[in-house]
Amino acid sequence: MHATANSGSAHPRLTNGVRLQTDPVTGKSVLLHPEGIIELNETAYAILSRCDGRTLDEIVHALAEEYQADPEALAADVNETLADLHQRRLIEYA
Amino acid sequence: MNTPRPYALLAEITYRCPLHCPYCSNPIAGSVCEVPRRPQDGRFSDGELTTDEWQRVIREAAALGVLQIGFSGGEPLARRDLEELIHVAREASLYTNLITSGIGLDDYRVRVLRDAGLDSVQLSFQSDDADLADEIAGARAHKRKLDAAAKFRTAGIPLSLNFVIHKRNIDRLPQMIELVETLGAVRVELANAQFYGWAFLNRAALLPTREQVDRAREIAIAAKARLAGKIDIFYVLPDYYEARPKPCLNGWGQRYLTVNPIGDVLPCPTASSAIPDLRFENVKAHDLDWIWRESESFNRFRGTDWMPEPCRSCPQKEIDFGGCRCQAALLTGNAAQTDPVCEFSPDRTVVDAALREVNSSGGPLREWTYRVNPTMSARLESSRALG
Repeated sequence: MHATANSGSAHPRLTNGVRLQTDPVTGKSVLLHPEGIIELNETAYAILSRCDGRTLDEIVHALAEEYQADPEALAADVNETLADLHQRRLIEYA
Repeated sequence: MNTPRPYALLAEITYRCPLHCPYCSNPIAGSVCEVPRRPQDGRFSDGELTTDEWQRVIREAAALGVLQIGFSGGEPLARRDLEELIHVAREASLYTNLITSGIGLDDYRVRVLRDAGLDSVQLSFQSDDADLADEIAGARAHKRKLDAAAKFRTAGIPLSLNFVIHKRNIDRLPQMIELVETLGAVRVELANAQFYGWAFLNRAALLPTREQVDRAREIAIAAKARLAGKIDIFYVLPDYYEARPKPCLNGWGQRYLTVNPIGDVLPCPTASSAIPDLRFENVKAHDLDWIWRESESFNRFRGTDWMPEPCRSCPQKEIDFGGCRCQAALLTGNAAQTDPVCEFSPDRTVVDAALREVNSSGGPLREWTYRVNPTMSARLESSRALG
């Protein structure tokens, strides 16, 4: 049973076979996956680097604290980014 | 002009293969024999690169900016040092992909590959139907492939399947997609044969009819919608039926490089056989950085300066890059022509003639010629220095 993208208790994580690392040429973060390479913007990196077993709520709170942002507004951004990555099968929910 | 950096290396570590698929993109036997006899800096390169040589190539590729490596062939499992090469690639932070027939995989091997850090596997199938699949492969392979799929799954290595589609199996697309579901793959490539190497030789037997292609496209689109979020389906059309050429390699010498079994570095895996008048450099004589940036072969079709009309003044020239150099060479005899698939190419008639032939013949099946291993394989066997 998979939790939905909007459930705050869901644990988003990189799909098996997807790797997050730094591109040594550009210094930017990239997702490496079977079909290719995706360069991440700072927002996507900030979110994905925290997909380490934490729940969605915990990720939003950590980001809100670090960037001193409103958690509710932030939650919308996080959801949107994760929904896009989920649709591309780059993340899954545990 | 600033030289771009490459993102992916295709490592064709051997051309030996237990299968004999008539659409193989490897060079047909004759051209493979000639290549290794060419002198390299006064020496004669002889046979496949050694383990040490491949390890150096992999490190040089990573230093050049490559992020992904595909181990291919031939059948890469035929080299017993595959796991060592994967290990070195992972040490260099490369994403590792194995492109395999699955023949040669056993429980021990799959464990060693996983432990070496293999990131993903692309397993080829010829059909869902065992008899047809074995007939296409020219070997009893299908059952072993099913077994290999199960082994990769059990080991937890993400599995993609690949079906090369052609006249003889295209009508079984629904059953092939069912097999993908059964095997628990996360991704499937249903790629119509592209006409290079053995496939070019066997084109009359492989090119599907327009009716077949149209039906297959609809089936693929429907399956894509039905399985969205579960299995990624990539359907690749036979480009002869397109009006515009494919953006081959995303441009020559822009993102990809291939190293073949003897160490020749190619902008495209089929270039060595399709473009015989281009001289390719070898990793035994030069480092990868120099070959990528400076060599004539990588610079010949880089950018847009080489383009003839109608490409030169075409608004699409930065979108499809004039199509495929190998296809231009095979169909017109000149790699610097517009890809004849393009509707604006003066040579489009060559493609139309091939289509007319397959669509008007009423469909008696043509014989194909099975791929055979390079005739120097006996020498390769005795000279390879594997770890």
